[in-house]
Amino acid sequence: MSSAAQPLPTLQSVLQRPDVWRGDRLAQTSDVLASGYAALDAELPGGGWPRGAVTELLADGAGLGELSLLLPVLQTCVKEGPLALLAPPFAPHAPAWAMALPLSSLLWVQADGAEIAWAAENLLASGALGALLAWLPAQTDARTLRRLQLAAEAHGAPAFIFRQAAAARSASAAPLRLELGGNSAGLTVRILKRRGPPLAQVLHLQVPRPCLRMRPQIRQAELKPLPRFSAV
Amino acid sequence: MLWLCLQFPFLPLDVFPHEEGAAVAVERQQVVSANAAAMRAGVRQGLGLSGVLGLVPGIRVHERQSEREAELLRTLACWAEGFTPTVCIASADELLLEIGGCLRLFGGLEALRGMVRAGLEAQGFEALQGIAPTPLAAQWLARAGDEEACEDSALLRQRLGHLPVEVMGFMNAKDMKTLAALGAQVLGDLLALPATGLRRRFGAELPLRLAQALGEVPDLREAFVFPERFAQSLELPAKVEHAGMLLFAARRLLAALCGWLGARAAGVVECNLLLEHEDGMPPSVMTLALAEASADLQRLERVLRERLEHFRLEAPVWRIQLRVESPQTLSGRSLGLFGQEAALALAPVIERLRARLGKDAVQALSLVEDHRPECASAYVSRDQAAGRQAGKNAGKKVVAGRKSRPLWLLPKPKLLPECNGVPQRGGDLLRLAGPERIESGWWGQDEDATGDVRRDYYVACTARHEWLWIFRDADGWWLHGFFA
Repeated sequence: MSSAAQPLPTLQSVLQRPDVWRGDRLAQTSDVLASGYAALDAELPGGGWPRGAVTELLADGAGLGELSLLLPVLQTCVKEGPLALLAPPFAPHAPAWAMALPLSSLLWVQADGAEIAWAAENLLASGALGALLAWLPAQTDARTLRRLQLAAEAHGAPAFIFRQAAAARSASAAPLRLELGGNSAGLTVRILKRRGPPLAQVLHLQVPRPCLRMRPQIRQAELKPLPRFSAV
Repeated sequence: MLWLCLQFPFLPLDVFPHEEGAAVAVERQQVVSANAAAMRAGVRQGLGLSGVLGLVPGIRVHERQSEREAELLRTLACWAEGFTPTVCIASADELLLEIGGCLRLFGGLEALRGMVRAGLEAQGFEALQGIAPTPLAAQWLARAGDEEACEDSALLRQRLGHLPVEVMGFMNAKDMKTLAALGAQVLGDLLALPATGLRRRFGAELPLRLAQALGEVPDLREAFVFPERFAQSLELPAKVEHAGMLLFAARRLLAALCGWLGARAAGVVECNLLLEHEDGMPPSVMTLALAEASADLQRLERVLRERLEHFRLEAPVWRIQLRVESPQTLSGRSLGLFGQEAALALAPVIERLRARLGKDAVQALSLVEDHRPECASAYVSRDQAAGRQAGKNAGKKVVAGRKSRPLWLLPKPKLLPECNGVPQRGGDLLRLAGPERIESGWWGQDEDATGDVRRDYYVACTARHEWLWIFRDADGWWLHGFFA
């Protein structure tokens, strides 16, 4: 009865809805956290890391600056709740973390295999986390990621999932997927998937580095070879 | 005063495993308790065993085990302590709770009754509730199955008047026959008779009891003495070989524990479930650990379930015991204004993770003042309290932090291959910064401790632009961390 009385929605009115996005432009969401990098924010839907969603970061190796990329947003998240480091590849070094974040709000959770996804889901479902950083094995299947995405959606905490770059080829429910790499200027970010048109170019970000902070580019000429090792 | 009597009509059967079909508990060849299926078939209390078998040929018959019933009732009394400090074990299957003083706390009579009922249901018990201003009247109402509360002592005479004389339960068969011959079927008939006549005919007890039920004569009850240390045990109805089957019995003990803790405004961080085996084997111990002191039944149950799922029994268990070594006083908690709720919501998850992944799976970080990188972080498993403490000090000791330190550290440095004196990791490493000399720990004696170190640290970069923290010592080049 009421459906007959309502005017049919026009295409324009449907397109205006906030939950509808067109493939050729970025989705408009307001529930984001600024990443702290203007160049990155400009390319992310809504202008920042999505809250209540899984963000996949694919990188091989460690030391590219993959965590430095997240430190600005983690400093925002930590105001809302503790941060969980789930199954990181190495032990966190307290003096370095203490410079960026209050140590009291860091939780280091060790798990392996299928337990990682189980723990991630439980941590997200608690609704008490500021953010989750999890290192999932490369062979994690799409169903597991979908469960994590649902858990993140229901509880509003951002979840950053680190995986091997090989996972780029497999399907994933994460609305945002980035592939990280390094170059002499800093960190390179290739957006594999976002709610918006595909981005061909690679973003170059200057993440804070332990030294040479003043110099934007490391020129090869400045690099000194390591001193030769001589037996004492 | 207002008394709540909980009468457990199925207590003799509750000590045995629950079963779908008809079952009875018998004592001296007479039925003392029959479950719903048996009742439907016409089995009644007091029926002879041969009569029962005639009615329901395949019925399960259990010999009554009074000791285990008493044990169960004590466990229930502990659980009831969560509601009121005055609990009495009134008879073999009845508990009396003085609830007049705690009605407000629980939000009124109906709310309290609901909580009691839900709590019992969760443990798999069924009880009749009788509520009256005197303990005896509450017992009689419960026995008669009259669950409507009688809060006003002026109404007692009228309410008790409708109950059959059998509810009194203390008179012998001969006197009962005399009562029947008198034509007294309900208590109202007895209350109408003069007390002197009753005394002459039936002795002093009957008029005394009637007066006590009406509140005319004081009725002193011996309060249940709660154990100072909680160590309740339950004998299992049958030997259990799979840990999962312990859940039901263990939950009853946990419920008792929570009541006991509630009365003391205390919580537990850790309690031990002892699984006793036969043949003189030492009992297995299952430790239930919480992230913070709590008396929350649901949290304990969740931890219990996780633990049972992954617990392998070495031998069949016939008896379980729940022990608490050191209950901790819970500080009164006001509702959080900002932020505190988050920590509260996280604690149950931490418990679950610890229960499944191991005790040291969830750790907090804290700083240690030591120049040797391996010794600069402490991983504290024992709760966020320690982490919080370290967090407070974090501002003060950033001495080491002013220099560049990597976010990831290898627990043990890894030897790097070397080519022409240059360390290798996918090609030559390039120096970005350094050296930084770290020389400390000369006091270290032990073999496996870090001990004395003398190292030159460099920040180096691989061909793939990974930033590493490497050092050189007398033994060569070592990889020690990643600037992630």
